[in-house]
Amino acid sequence: MVHLNIPLLVRARGPDEFWRKRRIFKLAAHYRSRTRNVYSFAIRSVHRALAYATKGRKLKKLDMAQLWTTRVEAGCQQYGVALDTFKEGLARSDILLNKKMLSDLAIWEPRSFEALVKISRERAAVEGLPDIKQRSAFNQVYGLRNLKLD
Amino acid sequence: MSFLAQSVRQVLRQTTQRLTTTATRALSLSPALLQQNKLAPSGIDISAIAKEHQKECQAICDKINQQIGKSEQGRLFAVVHLCGKQFKVTPGDIILVEGYWPPTTGDEISLDKVMLAGARDFTLIGRPILEAGQVTVKATIIEKTLQHTKTHFKKKRRKQYMRINFQRSPNTMIRINSIEVNRPLNSSAEAETQPSKRLF
Repeated sequence: MVHLNIPLLVRARGPDEFWRKRRIFKLAAHYRSRTRNVYSFAIRSVHRALAYATKGRKLKKLDMAQLWTTRVEAGCQQYGVALDTFKEGLARSDILLNKKMLSDLAIWEPRSFEALVKISRERAAVEGLPDIKQRSAFNQVYGLRNLKLD
Repeated sequence: MSFLAQSVRQVLRQTTQRLTTTATRALSLSPALLQQNKLAPSGIDISAIAKEHQKECQAICDKINQQIGKSEQGRLFAVVHLCGKQFKVTPGDIILVEGYWPPTTGDEISLDKVMLAGARDFTLIGRPILEAGQVTVKATIIEKTLQHTKTHFKKKRRKQYMRINFQRSPNTMIRINSIEVNRPLNSSAEAETQPSKRLF
């Protein structure tokens, strides 16, 4: 390969047609119909697939976050507490578990999750968050003395 | 005139009293309008309730301590904070830390930032982490490898733009050896201990 200037370098297609195509065909081996066997089709779909994979890595994280939110929300609704109130109550009690952990607890450790809901509900009642209609149900949660009662 | 002055003074006194009672309300962050809903425990003897609570807390603590003393608590689980992520672990688990992390294979470490620990009958919830030394989570680093190759590919149609990069970041596997509750819980001692000076 001789590159006399930059445009030629860009146009030079690489070492050998066979090996260049083989890389693409290896990635396209499991595709169906002519996208597997015809290079011009294969390279199109391989490029598209790689681009999707790159974007998908970010989307996966967003999807998981959404899923956790849904699960935590469902967990709160069991006890009649809204998600915002629950999270606010936890944050004000200095409990900094993240969404992933809360959803895991809601699924696998329902009684721990129930305790968390009670604590946050209690905190919300004490601090007067707008969502809580009932008076705080004292003496249901361990460690209430840590709450600030005025 | 004196009568007027008296009434004014009374009003003033009332306002000061109200201010003291609503001190926490003023401190909290939510706007004043939202706080109208506050359910103040009016007409309740708070000190009596507090005493009752303390008794109740003590009773619960004693129960948990008894259970731990007889080692009847069963298998413990814990939520640990490690490398900016939180993991729910139980003895025997393997967790994966992504990215650069100094410890090498064979190191035995204890995960100190325990945010929550629980068993069949009780849960200890940290605010945000449990007291240092309350619960120990021991772990061993069993493997340090690289990720599978991630292809970072970008292309714009009809714009002669195409970029491809390959990336492998280090991965570390950690096995959780044991989770143990060390000290008996004591609600009175808990309050006296000062916040530890450790830097995590």
